[in-house]
Amino acid sequence: MKKSLIVLLVGVLVACVARVGMAFDAGRDINVISREAGSGTRGAFIELMGIEAKTDEGTIDRTTVEAIIANGTDVVLASVANNPYAIGYISMGSLDERVKALKVDGVTPTQENIADGAYKVARPFNIAYKELSIVAQDFVDFIMSAQGQKIVSGSYIPVVEAESFTTNRPSGRIVVAGSTSVSPLMEKLQEAYAKLNPNATIEIQSSGSTAGMLGAIEGTCDIGMASRELSDAEKEQLTYLVMAQDGIAVIVNNDNPVDNVTSDQLRDIYVGDVTRWSL
Amino acid sequence: MGARLKFSIETARRYPLSFVLKVLVVGSALLTLGALFFLLAYIIVNGVPHLKPSLFAWKYNTKNVSLVPALLNTLIIVGIPLIVTVPLGVFSAIYLCEYAKKGSKVVEVVRITAETLSGIPSIVYGLFGLLFFVIYLRWGYSILAGSMTLSIMILPLIMRTAEEALLSIPTSLREASFALGAGKLRTVFRIVLPAAIPGILSGVILGIGRIVGETAALIYTAGTVPRIPGSVFSSGRTLAIHLYTLSSEGFHTNEAFATAVVLLIIVLLINALSAGLARRLGGGN
Amino acid sequence: MTMQVEKLMHAVFFIAALVSIIAVALICIFLFANGIPAMREIGFLDFLLGQRWAPMNSPPSFGIFPMIVGSIYVTAGAIIIGVPVGVLTAIFLAKYCPAKLYRVVKPAIQLLAGIPSVVYGFFGLMVIVPFIRTYLGGSGYSILSASILLGIMILPTIIGVSESAIRAVPREYYEGAVALGATHERAVFATVVPAATSGILASIILGVGRAIGETMAVVMVAGNQARVPSSILQGVRTMTTNVVLEMGYAYGLHRGSLIATGVILFVFILMINLLFSVLKRRTNYGS
Repeated sequence: MKKSLIVLLVGVLVACVARVGMAFDAGRDINVISREAGSGTRGAFIELMGIEAKTDEGTIDRTTVEAIIANGTDVVLASVANNPYAIGYISMGSLDERVKALKVDGVTPTQENIADGAYKVARPFNIAYKELSIVAQDFVDFIMSAQGQKIVSGSYIPVVEAESFTTNRPSGRIVVAGSTSVSPLMEKLQEAYAKLNPNATIEIQSSGSTAGMLGAIEGTCDIGMASRELSDAEKEQLTYLVMAQDGIAVIVNNDNPVDNVTSDQLRDIYVGDVTRWSL
Repeated sequence: MGARLKFSIETARRYPLSFVLKVLVVGSALLTLGALFFLLAYIIVNGVPHLKPSLFAWKYNTKNVSLVPALLNTLIIVGIPLIVTVPLGVFSAIYLCEYAKKGSKVVEVVRITAETLSGIPSIVYGLFGLLFFVIYLRWGYSILAGSMTLSIMILPLIMRTAEEALLSIPTSLREASFALGAGKLRTVFRIVLPAAIPGILSGVILGIGRIVGETAALIYTAGTVPRIPGSVFSSGRTLAIHLYTLSSEGFHTNEAFATAVVLLIIVLLINALSAGLARRLGGGN
Repeated sequence: MTMQVEKLMHAVFFIAALVSIIAVALICIFLFANGIPAMREIGFLDFLLGQRWAPMNSPPSFGIFPMIVGSIYVTAGAIIIGVPVGVLTAIFLAKYCPAKLYRVVKPAIQLLAGIPSVVYGFFGLMVIVPFIRTYLGGSGYSILSASILLGIMILPTIIGVSESAIRAVPREYYEGAVALGATHERAVFATVVPAATSGILASIILGVGRAIGETMAVVMVAGNQARVPSSILQGVRTMTTNVVLEMGYAYGLHRGSLIATGVILFVFILMINLLFSVLKRRTNYGS
């Protein structure tokens, strides 16, 4: 009985390992991976790549219905890392060696290329608010200061050359809510701020860009975070600041021989006009 | 018992159907255990190498992604629903088995609603918790909102197992107690309930298991703040939600697996503890 | 004095029994009050039978027909895989397993119930999805992957409840059959298992409930495409994943439509329960 169990397990393990040895087959279908509707990353990506179409009545997201929907950056990463035929897009701050970032129109996604505008697939990280309490204003000042922007420069692109930050340590509670892409950066900022001003407590809820903006409008949070441009309706009701720039990296499996895509090819892949890896 | 697991060609020829059934039964059990074993091996192999002391720091920050606050929150979110639900569930089972008249309409409705509750998906509980506890009662994303949502969620589980345990106790035991002059309440609390405790505990174990592993019902009720809560009205993430949020932004996959290992160890400990408890209490009778 | 205590406790037990009724009533009221208006605004039939889900388009479309189909496919798959294995394993535990082995196997199966769905999801993503992609084709994110994963996830529920149902059957059934010359298998399958039918059915209800309601694991392996699939190797979106994918972002009518998705899911559960209780009553009459 134990023997058969071991045989079974070894069989499954061998089967799982065996696929690693297979060569890349360019004739196979592209497994397009997208994010859920409402994700800031998806919103920015479809706008930048022309996947969003304007009609008389409004705008339409033309992402193919065959696209696999992954509900988080890590799910996209894991899916692409495990699937030789997958393509996906993630925040550049989350990029790691498990996957390969493609050049878009021949430009490598690096911080320099995003800062000087050569790499086109980039979007702003916004913070938005209605009115700021004294302590919330202090925190926003910190984010936009030299110290704050230095933390931003860890994985993202800072936006301002700012002065050094000093605080008179106001106390109070700040609720920050919104984009799941901005949250990791915001947590780092909060930790650094807490060292300078231990009197403030900051609560971060990662609930998505749209929810963050809505929370700021409705007053359920003090500061909203968005990983995309604000909509016109949101801009009307909120004061907003760009706190960082973030690239969107287009990623494929490390076994995939493709290194470069053009924006047109990317659009065609995501709209569903191109379905095979023999681009 | 062991003889039933032997496969002999002779019996196979005489009772082919019996032989096939035996193969199926043993094969299924092997399949179940195989799936479990493979899953555990996968988590352990991926998680154990990343178990670092920094994971157990008292305070969470983005560098250590400590699981201690989440662990404490988990204990609280397991504790409150059990305190609320175990008495409720056991009492209603007592009513159904010991007090209600046979064929009573109330019993019928309670059974149907309990079955309905047990079928409701956790995401629907999450939606309900969000609409009722978080928004309508204005509790906000809080430990309390999460706990109350889970209380309702595990109620049918506790009820059903308690009821089954009560039903499995022979009527003769009750009759003997009555014959000795004990009243109804005394019989229930001194005779029937003690005998039913192992069954009830198995329901509690299942309930704890469900709570510890729950994400969908908590994400919109208890929220995701990785901190030790100041009160039951502050937001806090359980270990399972911690795992979910860790894995959803791509920075901490290794730590997520290590957290999964810790979570498994906790589940194993709870199970072992309850099983030991059940054996001791069961042996006392 | 004792009489008063007896009466008081009787009342306490009665009130405890009513809690589940109150809970169901509250859930109904709050879900329906938030979901029905959205359904009315979208149009009931457009919502239920609409093939297109594009909440962020302007004008948006809110059709959840693909998700309804998706939930049914995935749950059916999980039942096909999980129920036979689960019930047979329960029979193994109750009627075959030596006591020594039982002490190891039983806690192991309880552990299976305690593994969080996120972990199952990651396991599915890393192991089942690539396996299907390599050996059966497609992207691997498929009805089949979700069914296998859910089949494993519902095992502890089915095994636990079925086993206690089988154990609750009086020994005389089994002993009588053996005394009449039946083999062990025949005694078990022809007398004990039929006597435990209602308990086994209950385990299947719970299993269906878990499968149809599972969210976090399915979301990672099912692909989540909002269209009606044409093969079990294609991806699919279920009602639960529809809610969890977009709830964080949704507001206004989009949010209402997600709650309405929850309402439809809830109605499905009610129908399944009704079906099973009818079935159960009939079985009880038969025996």
